[in-house]
Amino acid sequence: MRPPRVPAPPEPARTARQLRTEGASRRRRKVEADINPLRAGLRLERVPDPCAFVLFGATGDLAHRKVIPAIYQLWRTNLLPAEFSLVAVARRPYTDATFAAEVLTSLKKYSRIQPIDDASWAELAKRITYQQLDFADDSGFDRLSERLDELDKERGTDGNRLFYLATQPSQVTEIIRELGRVGLDHEMRAAGWRRVVIEKPFGRDFESARHLNHEVNKVFRESQVYRIDHYLGKETVRNLLVFRFGNGIFEPVWNRSYVDHVQITVAESLGVEGRGAFYEETGASRDILQNHLLQLMTLVAMEPPSSFNADALRDQKLQVLRAITTPNAECVRHDIVRGQYGTGWVQGEEAPGYRQEPEVDPESETETYVAGKFTIDDWRWSGVPFYLRAGKRLPKRATEIAIQFKEVPLPLFRESTGDPAPNVLAMRIQPDEGIMLRFAAKVPGLGLDVRTVNMDFDYGTSFVVDSPDAYETLILDGLLGDASLFTRADEVEAAWSVVTPIIEGWAAMPAPHFPNYAAGTWGPDAADELMTREGRRWRRI
Amino acid sequence: MASDLRSAPVARSVAEIERALTGIWAQAAARRAKDAAGGKSAAGDEGAGAPGGTSPDAAVRVGEHHVAARSSVLNLVVVAGHQETAERCAATIAGIAGRHPSRSLIISAVDVDGPAGIEARIEAISVATASGTAESGAETIHITTRGETSRHLASIIVPLLVHDLPVALWWPHNPDFLSHRARRLLPMADRLIVDSATWSGDGLNRLAAMSAVAQSQRLAVADFSLIRQDRWREALASVYDLPDLRPHLSAVRSITVRYAAADGADPTGLTNVARPVYHVSWLASRLGMTVVSPLQRLPDGRRTATLRQGTHQVAVELRPARSDLADGSTVGVEIASQLRGAELIGDVQAGDRTVEVTVRDQGRERVHRTYLAPRLNDVELLELAVEDNLAGSVGVEALAMAGHLISAEPPHGAADMRRSEDYD
Repeated sequence: MRPPRVPAPPEPARTARQLRTEGASRRRRKVEADINPLRAGLRLERVPDPCAFVLFGATGDLAHRKVIPAIYQLWRTNLLPAEFSLVAVARRPYTDATFAAEVLTSLKKYSRIQPIDDASWAELAKRITYQQLDFADDSGFDRLSERLDELDKERGTDGNRLFYLATQPSQVTEIIRELGRVGLDHEMRAAGWRRVVIEKPFGRDFESARHLNHEVNKVFRESQVYRIDHYLGKETVRNLLVFRFGNGIFEPVWNRSYVDHVQITVAESLGVEGRGAFYEETGASRDILQNHLLQLMTLVAMEPPSSFNADALRDQKLQVLRAITTPNAECVRHDIVRGQYGTGWVQGEEAPGYRQEPEVDPESETETYVAGKFTIDDWRWSGVPFYLRAGKRLPKRATEIAIQFKEVPLPLFRESTGDPAPNVLAMRIQPDEGIMLRFAAKVPGLGLDVRTVNMDFDYGTSFVVDSPDAYETLILDGLLGDASLFTRADEVEAAWSVVTPIIEGWAAMPAPHFPNYAAGTWGPDAADELMTREGRRWRRI
Repeated sequence: MASDLRSAPVARSVAEIERALTGIWAQAAARRAKDAAGGKSAAGDEGAGAPGGTSPDAAVRVGEHHVAARSSVLNLVVVAGHQETAERCAATIAGIAGRHPSRSLIISAVDVDGPAGIEARIEAISVATASGTAESGAETIHITTRGETSRHLASIIVPLLVHDLPVALWWPHNPDFLSHRARRLLPMADRLIVDSATWSGDGLNRLAAMSAVAQSQRLAVADFSLIRQDRWREALASVYDLPDLRPHLSAVRSITVRYAAADGADPTGLTNVARPVYHVSWLASRLGMTVVSPLQRLPDGRRTATLRQGTHQVAVELRPARSDLADGSTVGVEIASQLRGAELIGDVQAGDRTVEVTVRDQGRERVHRTYLAPRLNDVELLELAVEDNLAGSVGVEALAMAGHLISAEPPHGAADMRRSEDYD
């Protein structure tokens, strides 16, 4: 017979300090358990946990061109765990086999590393499962939840799930609501983590972005939400952080005392490429200005973060967005330019005008070009204009950030045949990623001729290794739970608070006479005037 | 990416080498200027979008010049010994010119008893991007020494180093760390590059000597043998990536490394075992182990050692095995651990292109995965050797631990490390 249980004596009450110490020691044990010491010095000191990658919109263009090739590349380079499962979710009635066959066809077309490695593909294909699901069908999400539970047992995915929404923006809230309804958002101690990756656009304006964030945050905590702007995954964008905060020599001149102005250009030579209906709803301001351009601007202008963790970084970016002067109606009229391309020639080929593109209204007033002058009201940047421009059907594809420094206070070399141009530090983001510094040098000879020279650092030459695609970087970060390169809800709203007054201002005033620039040129004349009236000019790219 | 090789006539003194280097780059710059004047824009496809006319920007481009920036990142000094080794090293160096533009001095010796002197041949390799917007250059100076000069290599090397750049000393074969030459050359180097797998004999005494030199001189060492094992390390680490298996890392009971040896038994004990030793030393250093008893060779050809991890001991065994691989190559690594009575065995084996990982938990197969991880070639190894890679703390600690593991093993067989001046 078992002896009667004697109740344990009550534990003495612990002091706040003891509780803190115990908490710290628990956290330390958890961190230690998270670290694999054998990974020190290897490519990744931490690898993703076993998980199911649930890809909504798996049969769509984005999934096939970008997301799945990135997953294949991560798998091929052994950066995904063996207990990984890709759960493809879409409406079409595929089987696992037919979907895998379609994926293989896409990989042969879109993977940046060719040929496809048969053995790697065979291993990845075993981990792909297709789930037909109509997003409007409640029971489909119940089945998905059951399937994920089964995968935990079959494939050891351990309850960890990353939901990647590569779908139409209009389906995002519906999917998230359903995920919440079936409990797929719940993170419990033993049930693993749950994350959701949302593709841009994050709303159409400030109000819709706030509404979207509200809907998303009704289900997922903000720390579970990863808003992806693929520009932030590009090597040179990441290098911008290293350049600014890993070098001591630039920081002292990175301010209003030395910088005359900043130019950021996102130029595309392509038109709308069959996405006329989508572009009609967005235009350059929503498609590029609200996200890519403003994100690049924040990286240039932000204060050094106290650490490289996600929130420290994003807090500083948010400060910049909040300090950008909100354009009023007068500013919109005076400092913001919109344009739309007409017919022209791009890279030796005749290009139709925007209004002649399929799915585009022949009277469309959607802008395919936007340029503007923005200012940041803080001590570092007060009075320094940031000129931002983005457009389609420009002469070439190029993304660049240029910091133009002030002229020397006293021009000593007046007798020189050419005036030395002000110093420029330009960071090319695509193509030919690199950094260029323009400075004056004496031309060899008896005279004192000064000439401007460009000193180029070219990634292609200096590092012959392949750079990962932005999606590889960002998907891996998402799986690792590192949100540094993803956009937070408050950042999105702050960016919209800059762009929404522009859109509303335009709506309230008559549209310019569109088209107002020819395909293959650098945008409307008004964009040049924006610069020339202040004695500046756009950089030649 | 395009490359172009230019060479200058033979030089017979350091001053002539310096003049030849200046001349060779002046020629390259003149050629570039000529190309540019001939209409090949340095800015690539500027204005390409304007059919039948000049880009509106073309006019303002006049007066903007691109500097022919020749970036060098490294002085690479190769103590090649023989001419054949020198040629082989030169081919490898040419392969990294684009990524690590360097000034390379490749030194070999002939007729060491003849009259003193040097002969140098200089080559410059330009590597340009497809767009031609940037260019980097690598210079290779092949120096052949004769007679007494062969004993004073430092006097040739030092004046030819590009100032302010790190110096990597690549000693491809059998470096003698106790020699006069080593005493002169090692202090000028920031990094020593070796391949311990190619050393004569079992390689252990030389490895111990290198470990001692690295520690005493705070010299960063990049050993191809250790770098080659990167794919093994990734695979071994992956055994413990599953969170529930990670606690086993502090409960390792044995480490067994099987390596290729003649007849599967290594009867002479002269098979180079640097690679198997590195597997153990890396694991031991990462997992906080200490050496209880260093490696000892048993009559049956095996080598054993005992380590301590926390309160328990870890049995180490280097076991010769029959294999098609070259002698000394790792055939497999097995780590056994016991945690609260549960046994976990991680077994890793590698082929030419893949690494296979099997994890058995209580005798049941828990993980079996084949990684695509091809063997590295010499160019890749040199690239990694000149980058930080394992010269960082992981490599330093692995090498130091290798020294501890070997320290008590007596010299074996014929002296595998000459203490005299050697010319290879």
